[in-house]
Amino acid sequence: MANEDQIESILESARLIVCAGPGGVGKTTTSAALGLKGALHGRKVIVLTIDPAKRLANSLGLDELTNDPQQIDLSERIPDQDTDGELWAMMLDQQQTLDDLVARYAPDSGALARSKDNNIYKLLSSTLAGMQEYMALDKLHDLYTGGYYDLVVLDTPPTKNALDFLNTPSRARQFFDDRIMKWFIPSKNQKKGLFSKVFDAGGSVVNTLLGRIFGDSFVQDLVDFFETLSFLQEALRSRGDMIDFILRDPQTHFVVITSADQRRIKEALFFHDKLGQLDQEAAAFILNRVIPGFEADDLTSFDVEDLGDLGDVDVDKFESALSEHYEHLARLAKHNKDLVEKFGKEVGPERLRAIPLFGEDVHDITQLRRLGEYLG
Amino acid sequence: MLDSIKDKRLVFVTGKGGVGKSTCAAALGAALARRGKKTLVVETDAFSAMSELLGKSGKDGTRIKIADNLYAINLQSDECLVRSLTRFLPSERVVRSVTGNRVTEAFFKSAPSVNEFVLLDGILEFVEDNKQLYDHVIVDLPASGHAVTFLNVPDTLNQMMRGVGPFAKRAKVIAGWIHDSSRAAIVAVCLPEEMPVQETIELEDKLEEALGRGLELTMVNMVHPRPFPARFGTAFKEASESAGVNVDPTKEFSEESTATRRVLAGNVLAMSWYKRDRTYLDLLHSKLDAEIVELPMVYETEENDIVDRLANFINSDGQTTETLAS
Repeated sequence: MANEDQIESILESARLIVCAGPGGVGKTTTSAALGLKGALHGRKVIVLTIDPAKRLANSLGLDELTNDPQQIDLSERIPDQDTDGELWAMMLDQQQTLDDLVARYAPDSGALARSKDNNIYKLLSSTLAGMQEYMALDKLHDLYTGGYYDLVVLDTPPTKNALDFLNTPSRARQFFDDRIMKWFIPSKNQKKGLFSKVFDAGGSVVNTLLGRIFGDSFVQDLVDFFETLSFLQEALRSRGDMIDFILRDPQTHFVVITSADQRRIKEALFFHDKLGQLDQEAAAFILNRVIPGFEADDLTSFDVEDLGDLGDVDVDKFESALSEHYEHLARLAKHNKDLVEKFGKEVGPERLRAIPLFGEDVHDITQLRRLGEYLG
Repeated sequence: MLDSIKDKRLVFVTGKGGVGKSTCAAALGAALARRGKKTLVVETDAFSAMSELLGKSGKDGTRIKIADNLYAINLQSDECLVRSLTRFLPSERVVRSVTGNRVTEAFFKSAPSVNEFVLLDGILEFVEDNKQLYDHVIVDLPASGHAVTFLNVPDTLNQMMRGVGPFAKRAKVIAGWIHDSSRAAIVAVCLPEEMPVQETIELEDKLEEALGRGLELTMVNMVHPRPFPARFGTAFKEASESAGVNVDPTKEFSEESTATRRVLAGNVLAMSWYKRDRTYLDLLHSKLDAEIVELPMVYETEENDIVDRLANFINSDGQTTETLAS
């Protein structure tokens, strides 16, 4: 399925592009560049980002990205480009997303109030590992099924291991796992779950031990937490199944973003490999911040005499100063080039895009477009 | 260098993924060990980076000796849970009855923060180890999530448990260590780029707010060197402007160009990388009171060579100039 214009064709037809990869490789910027490109292809695109640089948000004309989609005015920013496409952006607010979820699925106002009052719930969104990933996918679910956008570009949260992300739906479901839940959730004809009964019975071994380790109030809070939020179990399960389905959809494409660094390339390949779990593969690999093609050979024909009058500078010293650093850079560039070639052999060079390390940060639409030129 | 952490027994190293946090934790460990300080580097990740960084590997959960005075271990939370429970419960049989019980297993799995707590408990055990007497226990904190959340786990847990029970009591002790900047140091690792620098500045505020303490040390990784001495600045500016390579230097490497133009363009790029780094470093210096160590770009292919170079750089007080490959 890979061809010359792999990224272009994805941008024309995909409903979801998941940008994955190790942290710190410019995923957010690349996601924005892909989104902009998609909009210039005439599509209605939303970029769901987790933690964008303030200057990136500002340069998109958004003072602050919020949990609600905001449209970026392209006609004003790119007057030379006439497009029917739209570019939207939003930033995930995980607490808000969780609150929304609870508010939507709470069976009555009492359950909602009890959820929000629970000591554990209050601390949950910041303490539960994987909550951010889960909430990102949950938001994705809404954007994807909402019907307005042609294309969602998902900038994945920085996980220590991009792989964690793929397991998010199952991990979230596991949190409300049946085997765990049955201890908490009351069965049909009963008011309380097994845990409550164990505790109400008093004096049991489990009760005594857990209470002894954690303190009785914590145990009771946790039991209340699960009983109160049991309504979320079904919601999370069905949404988790739907998210799984979305990730497996043929119109969902994964773009793996990494940098010219051995360990991060290894991580990217590992991720690509694991995409098999979803019957998916990386549609494209983007190598960010590659040192441009400095060549040590350039130094043999480098001649400051070509530069004309340099004033009263010591020409020989000037030449050797410029050469010395260039030689170091050439060595770095060679190292990068070798990595790119090796990586290209493994994944197919047509699937690989190398973006050079620019002199400036990519902060505005013009620079995003420039970055986009290297993507197509 | 490292004056800010030299008398701290517990050193937390934090940073977002991709900034070289583990590399810097390893370099810190190597540098301190070479000063004759008995040092243990602790990881809590499923995937250990230390074997590549320090050049020696061992089984997860067991301590390995890397070099004189330098040790490393990758702690696993399930093992830590058993160890923590062992200390809180009367006998091993009772511990097994707890860990092997489906009800309590369900409880441990579902109780938030318990994983992180038992890891911190395991870490503090090393600090308290009176046989080993480590001068420094360096913790390579997990990259995911926020450092403040992780370091706040003992407080959070204590709050959730309302101060009752042995976990809560132990949590108080651990929190005491984390809050106390005379015993424990917090080190931030970042790159000289917008996001990481902003996050480090915000981290300082958040630490103050949540823990009532700040950072001791910030390590800025992969700082680009000045490509050529400042005295050539004017001549270089004129030369690159008249050659026209200053506007889009990257272009010289994707299109037809000449050797001289490329050398100029390469230096233009290097100069802008250097200047960009300085902008963010200046911002960091103006906002932070903590010690700031600038680690130069090191070009080596083997990770343990990078760590070795960085440790030498730190211990020579930044006098080593051979930062790129030789």
